[in-house]
Amino acid sequence: MKRIRLDRWATQLQPPRNPRLHLQRCPFSSETRAPRRELQQRQDQIQHQWQHQRRHATTRRKLSSTAEVLGEDASGAPIPPGTLQDGELAASPPPPLYAPSHRRAAQSAKLSALHARLSLPSKLPLQTLARCLIDPSADPRTGYNNAPFAVLGQDLLGYYTSEYLMCHYPRLPMPVLFAAQYAYVGNATLGAMRAEWGVEVVAAPGMEVDPGLLQLKRTVPGNAMMDGETRQLKEMPQAKRLGSGRRNEEHGYRRGMSSRIVFDDQFGDLQSGLPPADARPYPGAAISSPAEDSVEAGSEQQQDALGPVTTPPSQLQTPEETHAITVEAGSASFIRALTGALYLHAGSAASKSFHRDHVLSRQLPLHTLFHFTHPTRDLSRLCDREGFEPPVARLISETGRLSRTPVFVVGVYSGDDKLGEGAGSSLNEGRVRAAAAALRSWYLYSPPDTDVVLPSEVEGAAGTGRAKKQWKPQMVDYGEIVT
Amino acid sequence: MPLQALRTVAKPQNGVGAFILQCKRLDFHYCDWAGSSRGMKYAAKHRQPPHLSMQTLYLLISSRSTSSFLKHNLSAFAAANPSIEISVSPRPGKHPVIRGSYVNGREKAICVRNLEPTEVVKKAEILKSANGEKLRIERKVVKSLNESVRGVWSPFHGREYRI
Repeated sequence: MKRIRLDRWATQLQPPRNPRLHLQRCPFSSETRAPRRELQQRQDQIQHQWQHQRRHATTRRKLSSTAEVLGEDASGAPIPPGTLQDGELAASPPPPLYAPSHRRAAQSAKLSALHARLSLPSKLPLQTLARCLIDPSADPRTGYNNAPFAVLGQDLLGYYTSEYLMCHYPRLPMPVLFAAQYAYVGNATLGAMRAEWGVEVVAAPGMEVDPGLLQLKRTVPGNAMMDGETRQLKEMPQAKRLGSGRRNEEHGYRRGMSSRIVFDDQFGDLQSGLPPADARPYPGAAISSPAEDSVEAGSEQQQDALGPVTTPPSQLQTPEETHAITVEAGSASFIRALTGALYLHAGSAASKSFHRDHVLSRQLPLHTLFHFTHPTRDLSRLCDREGFEPPVARLISETGRLSRTPVFVVGVYSGDDKLGEGAGSSLNEGRVRAAAAALRSWYLYSPPDTDVVLPSEVEGAAGTGRAKKQWKPQMVDYGEIVT
Repeated sequence: MPLQALRTVAKPQNGVGAFILQCKRLDFHYCDWAGSSRGMKYAAKHRQPPHLSMQTLYLLISSRSTSSFLKHNLSAFAAANPSIEISVSPRPGKHPVIRGSYVNGREKAICVRNLEPTEVVKKAEILKSANGEKLRIERKVVKSLNESVRGVWSPFHGREYRI
């Protein structure tokens, strides 16, 4: 399978490669060692160069919709169509802006301070950082918001986190793996991370706000009162339901672990944006025709079904039509977009070190994520599978048996080997805690660091050069305990 | 279900991976009329920065504002701390003040009335290196998210005490 060339995909961010230009790469990028005080001057100079080149290049090549370049003057106000010099461009009026123009990115102190606070490489331009701060709810056009970056960044963050967890803890069961993934790169963590970075959120998006603020359409808090009602919003029945993307969803089959692995996202949650099974499609949808014998039944069901008519996202053009989102969701999309933009501008090594510095540096005690229901049963099944002697619980020490506060220290032994130990206020509690401790020690096994080689250290651009590591087959566990 | 998971959020450790400076904004306020802003704006002591041209030096000597924090030290301070958003604005009729905003949402202000430019720089450094928390006496200076390496003593493990 051919390697995906993301630098080719990213040409929408870069101008056409012009051999007459001095720099043979993205005009927004600069040397890695450029001093910061010259960064903005250089960016402005190169940006003006590219704009002059692009005036003549629009007929040759249809560029995808990047941020508006020619429709405004330096202050960001749209130029009236009659004053445009180029005859080709006078035909179309400049598209409206719902967020600050990219020209103001180089003048925003907040944005430059954020760039320096995160120690972002100078290859990532301020204009892209400003675009990462614009959520689709503030501007639904994909050429102007951070949605394309966020899609890439979410996959990158998920990839790096999951390979770290799977290679360092090969025996982690699937529910705990989902929970650990959420603890590292889930919405709640990314929302907290945005606050730790000092990124402030606007009260409402618009053209006049500072480019260094996170722009999103904020949802009304749940404890606000509904208009004309005496009940609060959070007590009203939710009109929007999520679909699960599974076959026969209307029968309500149980969403087990295997089903989550196949259909749901990296945290085991339902994918957002999927309509429920009983939703009517929007007018003009390209619906695949059902089997011929059920055509009549299907059409009747569609007419009788009471459900929301879904609108395709590409039809949304103004912020008035977008759904409001929470600050947490907006923060998560910003951080994911930043990771994606880092990958596109600075390469996979930069995005990997970004993930290591901001995500993996956080502390997560994995032993607190486990919640057992029958640890003694699971432990006996595990010992049977692995060929150990059946586990036996023995009392190690005790005190206060007839008092108000007894303590029993129980150990679980397989033959002469103690698998786990637990203390409780009753004999049964001690036995159960000991079995849980034994299972945790089994699941949280971690190979030595010398044996751990992550796939991303070998494959891809990060693996090229003398820093490339030699691949060692990683430990793959037998599987979860079946009871 | 045999095994379930509990969701939580990983705790940040500033400095273990990336270090985020906690001071994100510094506002410098001065007054054009009052004399207490002299160190912020004007000063009596004359300093000769080596990188200035002769023409600039002449202009400096001819005016009374020779060496002042806002004119000379601020640009170097801002260049040395690119992660801090700096704003300068007049506050007529008030003493000069430096106000810092921090990542935890709190603000700290230091009045720099009647201070020399070098002292104003020191106050700015104090605000830069603070983290926004209230000033308190730290009784337990060692803090860690990890449990103890050798374990807490328990009467149930180890040698029993017998009389």
